[in-house]
Amino acid sequence: MSNYVLEAHDVAIHYGGVKAVDGVSLTLERGQIRGLIGPNGAGKSTVIDAITGRTRLTRGTVHLAGQDVTALGATQRRLRGLSRSFQRTSIFGQMAVRQQVELASHKMGMADSAADADAVLQELDLLPLADAKAEDLGYGQQRRLDLALALVGRPQVLLLDEPMAGLSVQESHDLAKHLKALTARWDVSVLLVEHDMDVVFGISDVVTVFELGRVIASGAPASVRADPRVREAYLGSTA
Amino acid sequence: MSIQRITLSTAGALALGAVVAASVSSGTILSLLTQAIIYAVFASGVGLLLRQNGMVSFGHALFFGAAGYGVGILLQLQAMPAEAAIAVTLVGITLVAFLMGLVIVRVPGVAFGMLTLAVGQMFYLTASRSRGLTGGADGMNIEWPATLFGLPMSELLKSSHMFLLCWTVLVLVLLALALLLRSRFGSITEAVRDNEERARFIGIRTLVPRAAVYALSALVTGVAGLLSALNTGFVSPENLHWSLSGVALMMAVVGGYKALWGPALGAVIYFLAKDILGDYANHWMAIFGVALITVIVFSPTGIAGALGRLVRGKKPTPALRTAPGH
Repeated sequence: MSNYVLEAHDVAIHYGGVKAVDGVSLTLERGQIRGLIGPNGAGKSTVIDAITGRTRLTRGTVHLAGQDVTALGATQRRLRGLSRSFQRTSIFGQMAVRQQVELASHKMGMADSAADADAVLQELDLLPLADAKAEDLGYGQQRRLDLALALVGRPQVLLLDEPMAGLSVQESHDLAKHLKALTARWDVSVLLVEHDMDVVFGISDVVTVFELGRVIASGAPASVRADPRVREAYLGSTA
Repeated sequence: MSIQRITLSTAGALALGAVVAASVSSGTILSLLTQAIIYAVFASGVGLLLRQNGMVSFGHALFFGAAGYGVGILLQLQAMPAEAAIAVTLVGITLVAFLMGLVIVRVPGVAFGMLTLAVGQMFYLTASRSRGLTGGADGMNIEWPATLFGLPMSELLKSSHMFLLCWTVLVLVLLALALLLRSRFGSITEAVRDNEERARFIGIRTLVPRAAVYALSALVTGVAGLLSALNTGFVSPENLHWSLSGVALMMAVVGGYKALWGPALGAVIYFLAKDILGDYANHWMAIFGVALITVIVFSPTGIAGALGRLVRGKKPTPALRTAPGH
């Protein structure tokens, strides 16, 4: 049996003649954080969409904890522990913070959904805002609420699509710290798409680099950072 | 809203209905109020769909008219007692609406509105031309029995009793909706309305709740149709016409669909203002159109929203952006 909690094999997403993603294979070990970087349009978000069932695969398979989930829809994959956040904040604006996190927890089948919701809110420093309407929160707080919705039900795998987008340096730093601590404590594996290189190289166990829908490099953060192809394609002077 | 507040509001509303029924002696006024209350139930059905699904229906008169035709045809065929005919009609409307909902709620935005319009008009034309079954364009009389639920029809049809019956039904419908919407079902439908994609990614299967709301709104509209059939003893294709759906929709918007009681308020205002305007009633739709535009521009949450703000006063925005530690 495989040691990987997530295995995406030979994933391809083609739109007519356009190959948004072509033959990508990715794995995640339990508790591992894999950073996914690359220029805009490289196919990072498309891979997340493919793995989570938001986009239909042209080719390839997705296995979650050894089980083939390729034919399952997004909701079914989520119920089996494959969760995600979105590039644009995706919350329920009209609902109170606790109400929506508790609902998500209930749908994930948690026995005590109220306690689970409070635990997640506590983890992300959102408990003081539990009764506030989501649309009244500040942007950084909404990003954390988005993460909270992805975290309820203790998923096995969390796919995060630019969770730091639009956050201040301090907010990014705080969120990265939370994320690192959480994955270790809750044994969650994370696939992190992010443009903030300090965050990616700071908290990832492994880093994969995309270009034009293909993987051009993968490995430990230090070796990826030193890879000349990566420096040329993406990192440039920021490395 | 807390259970205690819901209970108090319900008791107060029921008492108010009893007081009005007992104190108003004019049959004309009671008859007008009864008609307003029937439309208040209708508008509540349309408002529910708007509130919980964010969907605009131009075809809800289908369920209003179908209730009258359903019970009328069953009574004409002498297929079952009137009480059973009422139950069968309401269950039938709910089931048909649910099955319809499974198909049409997938269609987004304007296309959904057009689809409801098309389906509603299809039934309008069918009823207009099926003279043998529905009486065609002339409509059909409903042969109510001498007693209904043990009550003599002659008593039930007295204007004060009919008003009280319709008022009680309206209050109970709003009570049932208030309880249902504060349950898990309410949260689920709210989540699906707010952000369907995110709802899928927290494990909600989004189609069934949307279809269920559609069916529920059809049921409420069907109840209004039954009350109308009971009140007038008559149903015609006009009860299925899209313009009736449009009027109910306007009532819901003017009243304010974000509050459960808003559409009912809109219906009552519609009828009372129409009556008060008297001779100007020929231009009534133009006047109500102006009211609609005014509300949409100045108070998108309708009269109920404006009243709510007035009662609450201007509260300062909570300092959410300065949560501890951030």
